[in-house]
Amino acid sequence: MSTRPSASRKPAAAPQPAAAPQPTAAPQPTTAPRLSLRRFATPLAVAGALAVLFLWLNTLTLDSIEQRTLNTSYLLDRTQEHLILTVVSSALVALLAIPAGIAAYRVRSKAVRAFVIALGNIGQATPAVGVVILLAIVWQTGFYTALISLVAYCFLPVLRNTLTGLEQVDHATREAARGMGMTPRQVLWRIELPLASPVILAGLRTALVFSVGVATIATFINAGGLGDMIVNGLKLQRYPVIVVGAVLVAAIAVLIDWAAGLVEDLVRPRGL
Amino acid sequence: MSEPGVGIELSHVTKLYAGQQQAAVEDFSLSVHPGELVMFVGPSGCGKTTTMKMINRIIEPSSGSITIDGQDVLSLDPNELRRHIGYVIQQIGLFPHMTIAENIATVPKLLGWSKERTNDRVDELLRTVQLDPAVFAHRYPKQLSGGQQQRVGVARALAADPPVMLMDEPFGATDPITRQKLQAEFLKLQADIGKTIIFVTHDFDEAIRLGDRIAVLSERSQIEQFDTPANILANPANDYVSSFIGHGAGLMRLALIPIGDVELDAPDSTAPAVDADASLRDALDLLMVTGAERVNVSGGGGSLTHARISAALSKARQPVEAS
Amino acid sequence: MSGSLDVFLARRWEDLVTLTLQHLAVVALSLAIATVLGVLIGLLVWDKNVPRTAALTAAGIAITIPSLALLALLSPVLGLGWAPTVVSLVFYSLLPIVRNTVVGLREVPAHLIESARGMGMTPAKTLISIQLPLAWPVIVTGIRVAAQLTVGIAAIAAYVAGPGLGLYIFKGLSSLGSVNALNFTLTGTICVVLLALLLDGAFVLIARYSTSRGLRV
Ligand SMILES: Nc1ncnc2c1ncn2[C@@H]1O[C@H](COP(=O)(O)OP(=O)(O)OP(=O)(O)O)[C@@H](O)[C@H]1O
Ligand SMILES: [Mg+2]
Repeated sequence: MSTRPSASRKPAAAPQPAAAPQPTAAPQPTTAPRLSLRRFATPLAVAGALAVLFLWLNTLTLDSIEQRTLNTSYLLDRTQEHLILTVVSSALVALLAIPAGIAAYRVRSKAVRAFVIALGNIGQATPAVGVVILLAIVWQTGFYTALISLVAYCFLPVLRNTLTGLEQVDHATREAARGMGMTPRQVLWRIELPLASPVILAGLRTALVFSVGVATIATFINAGGLGDMIVNGLKLQRYPVIVVGAVLVAAIAVLIDWAAGLVEDLVRPRGL
Repeated sequence: MSEPGVGIELSHVTKLYAGQQQAAVEDFSLSVHPGELVMFVGPSGCGKTTTMKMINRIIEPSSGSITIDGQDVLSLDPNELRRHIGYVIQQIGLFPHMTIAENIATVPKLLGWSKERTNDRVDELLRTVQLDPAVFAHRYPKQLSGGQQQRVGVARALAADPPVMLMDEPFGATDPITRQKLQAEFLKLQADIGKTIIFVTHDFDEAIRLGDRIAVLSERSQIEQFDTPANILANPANDYVSSFIGHGAGLMRLALIPIGDVELDAPDSTAPAVDADASLRDALDLLMVTGAERVNVSGGGGSLTHARISAALSKARQPVEAS
Repeated sequence: MSGSLDVFLARRWEDLVTLTLQHLAVVALSLAIATVLGVLIGLLVWDKNVPRTAALTAAGIAITIPSLALLALLSPVLGLGWAPTVVSLVFYSLLPIVRNTVVGLREVPAHLIESARGMGMTPAKTLISIQLPLAWPVIVTGIRVAAQLTVGIAAIAAYVAGPGLGLYIFKGLSSLGSVNALNFTLTGTICVVLLALLLDGAFVLIARYSTSRGLRV
């Protein structure tokens, strides 16, 4: 849930802007070519795992409780709920946190920056399950509560990545652009944002994967999703239900991380 | 007190790196006398480093044999072998997480020396390389200047008093003035300890100043000439060697003339001083560096000017070239 | 709607201290195991291309798996309580620790390794007394990241009866509508946040005092 895939494949670097993808992280040991066969190892492995799961299910005789959940329409409904929560919250986070990060960067105030970083650190230390349940207690249970806590939870890492990504753009590059007569707005759109995009995208990728995890605990506040299967399976002691729920949600997380990585590599400005 | 050098023999040594068609070192044979300081000099990529590193088996030869004091190095355990060969590289390679004392104590520790013996040795070596143990022993490498680090590098290589030292451009990373100082100190040190040393450089000037003999190498570590500095300057074996000496020959020759061979003017108490056993080259360097008109020869009761030095050089040219 | 917080705290602070200590204990235990395991894996794979890529890829995929899913999968096998909690916390800690160990070991400059070997150190001795100490600051950073990660995950582990402050967070949920629901979840959450921040501060000190003075900037 609060599983933070941190700087996905880069070494974790803790100091200030902690676990989130680090602009200062050491070079990646291996960079796969933009599109190669190796790229598709992950989805193939996931497909393999799902196939094994399916074959294993076929060898079981399911009792009536298990049949109620382990059928196509139930699985599709839960998966759909899960994906909607994940994708909608991530989209909202992108729409809110990136402009907020740009704004925080452009006011160029030390106080604002310190505030954002401090907030980011506290946000990172906050357990997702606490956020979800707190919101349910002070407001209500259900889908919207889950959505809002997801957005709240993923907002800070993306905000912070946007800010640090923009800050790490080389000073000389920025000055050269200004020297050519670009307006600050042009410098932002043509130089700073493209150069910061890998860090910003890495933040979004982190947010997406967070969301899959946090959406799983949405079940605690009756917001549906695949967490339902896990929780019901545990309550009713039905191992097959737990396994199917857990494997599906893990598959979604792995695939989303993979797809985000693919997009990250494809849209990264050439030359970076 | 210090263990004297032993002979090194390389015969028909070849190194072919995996996946390369041309050997980096081909059929290399050379014999180094005990206590001799042999310089390997040649252009970048000619195989100096490769040749040297085969002696302590950091690089394994493809064929040929290497003996130290008559013992085949290929028959020894490489780790044991290396504990008895001093090794200094250009990057110095001091371990940043260890104090200077711990750095120097590395090999004695590997050899299982007692604490007292190691500590005594560390102090002795620090004094040998002109660093005060009370000041430097407990510092970390980053708290030393480049030249000081380089001295520690030499001290560390000498720690277990190895009869043989391998040095790969040990002064390469220092500025010219520091380098000259280190070279001078190193020569004095070698006069005391008399190790057998293989010293790699691509600075011909350095080779002339330091070497007992110089091996001028070309592609694939081919030996173009192996002789004393004076003979190489006087009689370059071929065009390759001549071109390597280049225009600086006269200046280099100065390094071979001791100050004692020259007539001196009256001493001048305000001038900087140069050692009586230094070369004319050292005196000239001091003149250039300080911008002084003359340098005093310490203890020698006289002083040297530019004019004296150039006179000595033109006088030296004829007899050497005639021989 | 909610009982007053000071009355709540006065009545339960002993309880809270116990839970906080439990939380700390399970995180510390897991980190200790993960450090030993992760550094060991790092030492084994850092210089071998295929095993290294395999280890890092596996750890990278593993960390994306939602923790409730992993806890649920473990509980039928390991039961409830400490066992599934510790196993899953170790599981999530491995990626940052292994990755940083590998990167740290690989970043040691080649000339230092050559120096060590040239002085007659065996490869194993070089790894332990040169490379590992030089990589240590990077490894500690990995452990620090793992600590932040596991403090949060441990809160969820209360769902499979794991030890620690998650108990209070979930108690709020199960007593939804009662006077103390908010107090339970709020104190639980805040204590987790404080614990995470304190632990992070502790790691700054640990990193400082466990790193050779020669390496500190
Ligand atoms: N590890 C290696 N693998 C393959 N080829 C190598 C390796 N090390 C050196 N070489 C090649 O062997 C040749 C000799 O290299 P070497 O390092 O001995 O040169 P060098 O004379 O020491 O040069 P420099 O003055 O630049 O240090 C070069 O062509 C180099 O490219
Ligand atoms: Mg070389």
